[in-house]
Amino acid sequence: MVGETTFERYAKHIAVAVVVLLILLPVYWMVNMSLKDRAEFAARPPTLIVERPTTENYYDLLVTQRFYLKGRNSLVVAVIAATLAVTVGTLAAYALSRFRLPKNFNYHLLFTILTIRMFPPIVTVIPLFAFYNREFFGFKLYDTQIGLGLIHGFMELPLVLWMMIGFFRDIPRDMEEAALVDGDSRFAVLRKIALPLVAPGLAATFILVFIASWNEFLVALILTGSRAQTLPIAVAGQIGQYDVQWGNMMAAGVITTIPVLILALLTQRYLTRGLAVGGVTG
Amino acid sequence: MAAKTVTREQTKEPTGATPWWERNLAWLLVAPMLFMVVVFAILPSLTAILYSFSHIRLHRTGLLRTFIGFDNFVRAFNDSLVRQSAVTTLKWALTVTTVEILLGLGLALLLAHGIRGRAIFTSLLIIPIIMPPVAVSIMWFFMYDYTFGIFNYLLSVVGLPSVRWLSDPNIALYAMMAVDVWQATPFAFLLLYAAVLSLPRDPYEAAAIDGAGRWHVFRTVTLPLLLPVLAVVILLRLIDAARIFDKIYVMTRGGPGSSAFTTTLTVYVEAFNKYDFGYASAISFMFQIVLVIIATVYVKRVMADYSAPLDS
Repeated sequence: MVGETTFERYAKHIAVAVVVLLILLPVYWMVNMSLKDRAEFAARPPTLIVERPTTENYYDLLVTQRFYLKGRNSLVVAVIAATLAVTVGTLAAYALSRFRLPKNFNYHLLFTILTIRMFPPIVTVIPLFAFYNREFFGFKLYDTQIGLGLIHGFMELPLVLWMMIGFFRDIPRDMEEAALVDGDSRFAVLRKIALPLVAPGLAATFILVFIASWNEFLVALILTGSRAQTLPIAVAGQIGQYDVQWGNMMAAGVITTIPVLILALLTQRYLTRGLAVGGVTG
Repeated sequence: MAAKTVTREQTKEPTGATPWWERNLAWLLVAPMLFMVVVFAILPSLTAILYSFSHIRLHRTGLLRTFIGFDNFVRAFNDSLVRQSAVTTLKWALTVTTVEILLGLGLALLLAHGIRGRAIFTSLLIIPIIMPPVAVSIMWFFMYDYTFGIFNYLLSVVGLPSVRWLSDPNIALYAMMAVDVWQATPFAFLLLYAAVLSLPRDPYEAAAIDGAGRWHVFRTVTLPLLLPVLAVVILLRLIDAARIFDKIYVMTRGGPGSSAFTTTLTVYVEAFNKYDFGYASAISFMFQIVLVIIATVYVKRVMADYSAPLDS
């Protein structure tokens, strides 16, 4: 920038350093504490770097308390949600970006979907709770992985629609049009030309939905009991117990974070686009 | 562009030879999504409206519903917890949004030019953004702990008395706001930063020639240019913040007492602790109306300013 003084250059770098520390220190502290045994955990002053690192908290949480089951639930639910949302959303996105539906339906549909995304989930989750507790053919959706996956998938449809419309718009249409002229059907064009071209975007979108589902709390809390309970709900249940297992809780925080962190770093490039419609958060 | 494609297609299309599903492909592709919207949004919303005018008792055989007119709404207006939680929600949404936007904007402008390791910096910012809110909550819950928490330890080092971060009704709400600020400021920053980086250069050169001061340039050039994106980020944060549930639920269950009850928490307690579905639906229905208004403004903005992905 014009007329930058030395002072400003310093201020900038100090600001960056402060922000980095503010972000990293709490996370570091959680990881640090998760590796401590009970004695070291209670030590005053606290040891800044763990002296006798142990994985007992992780073992206790995952194996003894069987949290691996909750992790598996989270994984299955997130995969169902991402598969469903990406499939349904991509088909619709292709239609909205390649066809002109009557009465400006394209605009209205996207508008409606994005608005629904902003509704407070607590409104619809009450009737859905009643619906999920009803038996259909001797089968209840309440407290099932598929039941929660369906809703999570629906909740992230707007994100998929928004992302995929953007990706479809970015690819050149010449090839699609050439194929159409050659007599290929629209559907064949979508399958053979458009989808391979947006494959990276498709993967990124899948991951964003996966993260959103993995992190989701309110709906998962209400629509699962003990069988299909996801990791965040089980972790939250640790708080408020009479004998708080601090080390386990810190380990639980780390375990819940690691999968989404790895996935997010893979999709960094597309993250901002997703954030604009509130993907991942909230 | 879309129009061109469609007309070209229409001219070459030999009608009659194409099967029906090929002719109506657009609708077929949209149909699964429409189906889900009906099942998971429209029907539940209509049911929620029905519930809000009813008294509902849970029974082994299902829900027993009696129509009671506006009773639930009248009750909600006279319920001090509902009013108090609405105030708390408003306070929460306005405070965290303001702080997050100001910090995010300030950082974005400060870092717009000439910092080293920008890629690494933005990668680090992703950590809070994507961390599960529950993980963030227990991380801070522990730091706030009266006995083992790092904050009280640091206070004791400088000789100050310990603070009941999450069990003092005057402090708990603000302590939890800080957690939200920690998680969402990077989010505001990232979106605003992208906008700052794509600002055009010309107006600044013109302003420099005119000899305009820094503040003047910010007010007359930067702010107006950023306004569309700024509006989107503010609205999005407002909507998300107004729906706050997870952090407060995890850290204090809305406590101490009911001091940190937000609207979503109140509805949750009415619906799933007291099983008063009718009353809970009435509260949430009014809440939804307020949010729909903000959401409509936001979606109009986001579709216009993020170069709406539809060519229409």
